[in-house]
Amino acid sequence: MNAHTDVNAAGIIPENSDDSTAMATETTLLDPRFYTTDFDEMDKIDVTPVRKEWDEMIAAMSADPNKGHFKKNDEWNTPDWEAMDPKLKAELIDFLVSSLTAEFSGCVLYKEMKRRGNNPDICALFQLMARDEARHAGFINDALREAGVAVNLGFLTKAKKYTYFRPKFIYYATYLSEKIGYARYITIYRHLEKNPDKMIHPIFKWFENWCNDEFSHGEAFALLMKTDPKLTNSFVNKLWIRFFLVAVFSVMCIRDHLRPEFHKALGIDIDWYDREVLRKTSDISKQIFPVAIDLENPRWEKNLLKLRQASAAMDAARRKGGIAGAFGKVGAGARAGLAFASLYLIPVKTDHVIEEDSRMVPSY
Amino acid sequence: MGLFTKEKETAPCEVEVSHTFDSLHAHVKFLNGATINPGDEVLVHGAPVLAGYGEIIIEERTATITRASMVEQVWTRMTGDLECMELAEFAFSEGALS
Repeated sequence: MNAHTDVNAAGIIPENSDDSTAMATETTLLDPRFYTTDFDEMDKIDVTPVRKEWDEMIAAMSADPNKGHFKKNDEWNTPDWEAMDPKLKAELIDFLVSSLTAEFSGCVLYKEMKRRGNNPDICALFQLMARDEARHAGFINDALREAGVAVNLGFLTKAKKYTYFRPKFIYYATYLSEKIGYARYITIYRHLEKNPDKMIHPIFKWFENWCNDEFSHGEAFALLMKTDPKLTNSFVNKLWIRFFLVAVFSVMCIRDHLRPEFHKALGIDIDWYDREVLRKTSDISKQIFPVAIDLENPRWEKNLLKLRQASAAMDAARRKGGIAGAFGKVGAGARAGLAFASLYLIPVKTDHVIEEDSRMVPSY
Repeated sequence: MGLFTKEKETAPCEVEVSHTFDSLHAHVKFLNGATINPGDEVLVHGAPVLAGYGEIIIEERTATITRASMVEQVWTRMTGDLECMELAEFAFSEGALS
């Protein structure tokens, strides 16, 4: 046990200053959201229909193939943060901070589910996933420290409100989030394999094995959904799945376009990258979702662009503030809503078959 | 639980903050079996739990749980789902940088 009373203004322990790479330290307050769900419903999950696959999956995750992966070795060459173009530096740090927050929030969510649950199968799974997320967060945190960014974990003593998601929404959103995370990491990794001169940060060298964790977490959620066919086959749930596909896909494209310098430095054309990631994710998600977005339909990219423009207009209106800003927000919101509806209404593809055993291995 | 009124209760809790290379995590566990419901608010008392790099801190603290009113709980159940996009990994960084 450890008592700390010497809180400084920034709320963070001073970093060791004899570090030769030390820079002016800025702090980022981690502010994860806290979730609760219907734990009784989750306790009722019965993995019997997929017992064999389930046990194999838990055994594979328990064996912890990536245990030794998240270590720095000779491959890790610390980037020259001081000499980096300030815009690129800001975007690269933003990329690392948002990745860290995502891993950290995943860890908080999974741990909460493990702690509140009474179903040993489910608890075992969430414990293993929380382990991976905390490990990823620690690794990214170390990269941020090199950049002079310290995270502040002081949020625990701030009032936190717990928000609520239905279990199935957690399955749809986290399944897609893990699979799209895999597709993003592997696409960057493969691109940098071909273009080693664009390696702007060593963390990308770790992405190949790293993304296997994301992939296997996605597999776990796919199996979870298999325990109850209604989750993916009922009329209403198919509409929800369609909603999540469109929402997750389009939000990713909007966010990526906010980091132009970052992608330019990597030599990545954002439109190409997003197309590539969505194609992979869409193909993978056919393992469990009976509907897939028709990414080839010209309406897809056309309305995606409209949604992005509306989102940029929203940002601009927000910055402007005042009455003009308020009107701007209403207009941009309406345009965004319309574009989203157009994306949602593109007829979905349903011509794939979901195998009884639809497990996959990372293959990109 | 009141329809509109919030009730407060205190609960002993254990906070665990790990700020190490191998694991970055932070959790609160209630030691009296208290559970959190939609819309409840939790405040851990005392100074921020500050784990310096390389430290793992496990401390017992007291927390105040402000129970959501019945209306608020129903509201949180209804609207929480709308925020679930937050779970998508890239959805955390808000807006353009410059």
